[in-house]
Amino acid sequence: MSTQSSHPLNLPPQKPAGRQNIWITVGVILTVVMCICGIAILVLGGRISDTLFQPDEDGQQTVTTQPGSASLVIAVSPSMAPTLESLAQQFNSENRQTPDGQTMVVHTEAVDPLKMVEESLAAPEFQAISPDSSLWLNQLERAWTTRLTTGEEAGAMIPIANRRTGVPVRYAVSPVVIAAWESVALELSWPQEPVGWQQIQQKATRDPDFKWNHPSTNNASGLLATLAEFYAGAGLTRALTEEAATDQVTIDYVRAVEATIRFYGEGEDVIVERLAVEGRAFLDAFVAQEQTVIAWNQGNHAENLVAIYPAEGTLWADHPLALLELGGPGETPVTDNQRRTYQAFVEFITSSEAQRQLLRAGFRPADLSIDLVEESGSPFAHTTAIDWRQPQTTLQMPSAHVIEVVQNVWWYTKRPTNVYLVVDTSGSMEGEKLARTQEALLAFVAQIQGDRDRVGLIEFGSGVKSTLALQGLDTAGRDTLNQTIAGLQARGNTALLDAVWEAYLRLTAANDPEAINAIVVMTDGRENASDHTLEDLRQRFANSNGTPVVVFTIGFGSEGDLDDEMLETIARIGGGQYRRADETSIEELYKVISTYF
Amino acid sequence: MNRTRWIFVIIVVVALLIVATALILRTANRPGEEAENSAVAITVDRPEALTVRVLTSLPVEPWVRNAAETFNATQPNVEGIPVSVEIIAMDGLTALGRWDRNEFGALEAGVRPEELTEAARAELADFPTVWIPESRYLVELANASYKERLGQDVFLTDGEYRARPIATSLFTWGIYQTRAEVLQTHFDEISWQTIHDAAVAKGGWPDLGGDPAWGYFKLVVPNPSKNVGGLHAMIAAAGEYFERTDIGVADVTDSAFQRWLGELMGSVTDFSSASAYTAEDFALFGYSVGDGGQLLESDLLQNMEGILTRWEDPLNLYYPRYVTWFDFPFSIWVGPETSALEKNAALDFQRFLLADAQQQAALAYGLRPANPRVPLDATGESLFVKWANRGVESVVPRADAMRNPDRDVLLALLRWFELNVAE
Repeated sequence: MSTQSSHPLNLPPQKPAGRQNIWITVGVILTVVMCICGIAILVLGGRISDTLFQPDEDGQQTVTTQPGSASLVIAVSPSMAPTLESLAQQFNSENRQTPDGQTMVVHTEAVDPLKMVEESLAAPEFQAISPDSSLWLNQLERAWTTRLTTGEEAGAMIPIANRRTGVPVRYAVSPVVIAAWESVALELSWPQEPVGWQQIQQKATRDPDFKWNHPSTNNASGLLATLAEFYAGAGLTRALTEEAATDQVTIDYVRAVEATIRFYGEGEDVIVERLAVEGRAFLDAFVAQEQTVIAWNQGNHAENLVAIYPAEGTLWADHPLALLELGGPGETPVTDNQRRTYQAFVEFITSSEAQRQLLRAGFRPADLSIDLVEESGSPFAHTTAIDWRQPQTTLQMPSAHVIEVVQNVWWYTKRPTNVYLVVDTSGSMEGEKLARTQEALLAFVAQIQGDRDRVGLIEFGSGVKSTLALQGLDTAGRDTLNQTIAGLQARGNTALLDAVWEAYLRLTAANDPEAINAIVVMTDGRENASDHTLEDLRQRFANSNGTPVVVFTIGFGSEGDLDDEMLETIARIGGGQYRRADETSIEELYKVISTYF
Repeated sequence: MNRTRWIFVIIVVVALLIVATALILRTANRPGEEAENSAVAITVDRPEALTVRVLTSLPVEPWVRNAAETFNATQPNVEGIPVSVEIIAMDGLTALGRWDRNEFGALEAGVRPEELTEAARAELADFPTVWIPESRYLVELANASYKERLGQDVFLTDGEYRARPIATSLFTWGIYQTRAEVLQTHFDEISWQTIHDAAVAKGGWPDLGGDPAWGYFKLVVPNPSKNVGGLHAMIAAAGEYFERTDIGVADVTDSAFQRWLGELMGSVTDFSSASAYTAEDFALFGYSVGDGGQLLESDLLQNMEGILTRWEDPLNLYYPRYVTWFDFPFSIWVGPETSALEKNAALDFQRFLLADAQQQAALAYGLRPANPRVPLDATGESLFVKWANRGVESVVPRADAMRNPDRDVLLALLRWFELNVAE
């Protein structure tokens, strides 16, 4: 018999009370959680998903970042770069904020105007540009329109807008002038007689000792000087056409004038640096902005420059500032905050204080309420070197198409160049250095476009390894040069001086005084294997009665590896420049040096 | 299953239903989904603030911008909602090009903003509420373009929202005094024909009796692709050439006229100039880039101070026989892209501009008030008073007003310019 313990009242067995409460509690908690989730989805879901998952053009959900950048990069012409950089620093120091709390920051980057135009056409690293003249904006818009309208039907649409740049702003201007030493200007009958392009060109043609220079057509001063030559050659003061610019009489005239150019170059800023070192021995006159004359005279120099406003007319460097309308394929669009930074910076540089700073720096401020003469501290007051009433007239700016023609024809009229690339291929150049050098040399050769230009190459290590004689730059010549560059091999020591010596002998033997004869020598180390000494080289250059040879030296690498003093001395002996480069800048430096030829 | 479990299951099901409903609602509103999914009703919220975006032509932009700042400072509201006015400077022809290409993103016929996805509605946030072009005819051209596309006008010419002029100005000759005296001595009067003959003088100013240092005669005309004033200069020249106020396509394509116009425009120094603000450039570069030109009176008056400060030679105004007027119509977009509240806020700003205070303020910008209660000498700040000695006249002496061009004339002139001058 089993015995079963039973409830005394025989009630059905009950579940423990705790288990039942747990089920209900869990259910209630689940309900509350899900309700909260539901509400959250409704209220916040849109915001969260809109922030994190935005559909791209193809309808795909992609993760995006907050488009809040308020940092603006402005590409600015080298002649304005120092002044605009100073203003940008002042602007940045004010720590201005966008409505969403981002700090507005402006960076400037000095870029040649022609390069600025080229880079602006495709995904540039800057969002705004300030070339030295509006003509570059015009060229940019012309190139942009050509790109956009290819194959587009004309139709009945108003053919305006679709611009690459926003509405530009001018903040300072400066006329392009012929800058000359005061004594040189007096010899030209300045200021009693009007002096123009023709007087300068005649003087240069008749007087072999007269040294003048205009920059390459990569910037406004150089382009204007070139245009003035074409106008003079065509016997015009306006309405320069393609036919007139390409007429043989015009080309012959321009070629004769260009033959008197000592060498070309980057722009007035570099010329001024050299004037400071070499003074009158460097140049008698050069084409530059009026501001350059003012800035020079503000320094303590032995002789002042004067601004000759060409009688036939000149051109204004009008320094426009414009925001790029980026946003094409592969481009990062300009953010709203960058637009705010741009707008704030425009207001800053057109403010009364900034405008007065620009005046003190030698520019004519865009603020017309500032009197050029009466303003306290104005460089236009109490001087005869510059004249606020000038220029009286300007040359007519041809259309963008004719300007392009002039730029192209100039290559056929410019003074020809014979240049030897002297390249260090010692053992230390092995690897990345040599690869970058080869790219830079190829870029240099590609930049030289004159039909009478010639380029040779001397490779050195423990001695002169190989020499490629001067090559004309037709297809065959370019192929030979490019193959030689591709075949460079690193080994041996550094016979730098012997290589320069060899290049010099070859150039003087070529005996081509009509051309610019130059050596561009690059090394990454110290001289340790030459038979010739620096003194030998100095005497060789000093005693030369023949063809003048200019030498540019490039130190490739870090300070400790290079003999800066020797490279500077070689450049000084050869009347050129010494510059240093690294693997990221070597190609750009070769391109810059190519503008001198 | 006992009752407790049933209760638990029901609670869970209810919760799941809430979540599911929330997800369905969310999906229906998600950007990129088909329109039929948006059948669920959308609640249009009352906005926290209203922005009136005003596309403003360049000659009145400084005045309208200043007025907008004053207006905003009064903390205006519509039905209790704060309003702010935002000014966007744009040349009338540029704006017309954008309307033509529908670059502002007007909706297709029959489409309502409520039917759009969130993203598409967000794109309408920058849609202009108001357009103030230089002249009424630009509004008519934009209307014609949209009538073709939508079957209706987008800017009304009558009724409450009709386009109303807010100020006027006209084209006058602005010529440096020394140059004008030589021209008057040589040609007797200043006209387009005079300017043409000066422009074609082979030897430049010496041929006309002027200073050799002045070079050749240099005309100032705005670049028509940047400033509608350039187009009107050509139309005014055509009026004088044909001695008529109504110019048609046959006139502007006439070969003799085109040759004459080409010679005239050949004396412009620089069309590559970046700026659309021609009178400002005139002041900045002075007689070195232009001896004179036909420009908007208000622009010349605004820049007179700068011209006199910066350059040695004063500039004088001379009124032409064939006059081109700009009337700056305040034109409110009537399409569904902007809300009724925004339109009403725009009307408030229009009233503000037409009130005496702002009309008087316009005088300081060289603009002639649209409000007839405000005379040109209403304030001491009036540029008509300040520059009376430079030839500005309260009453325009001759009244042969040029008729506005139609689209074909405009296009023919622009194409001629692009092919024969700009290139």
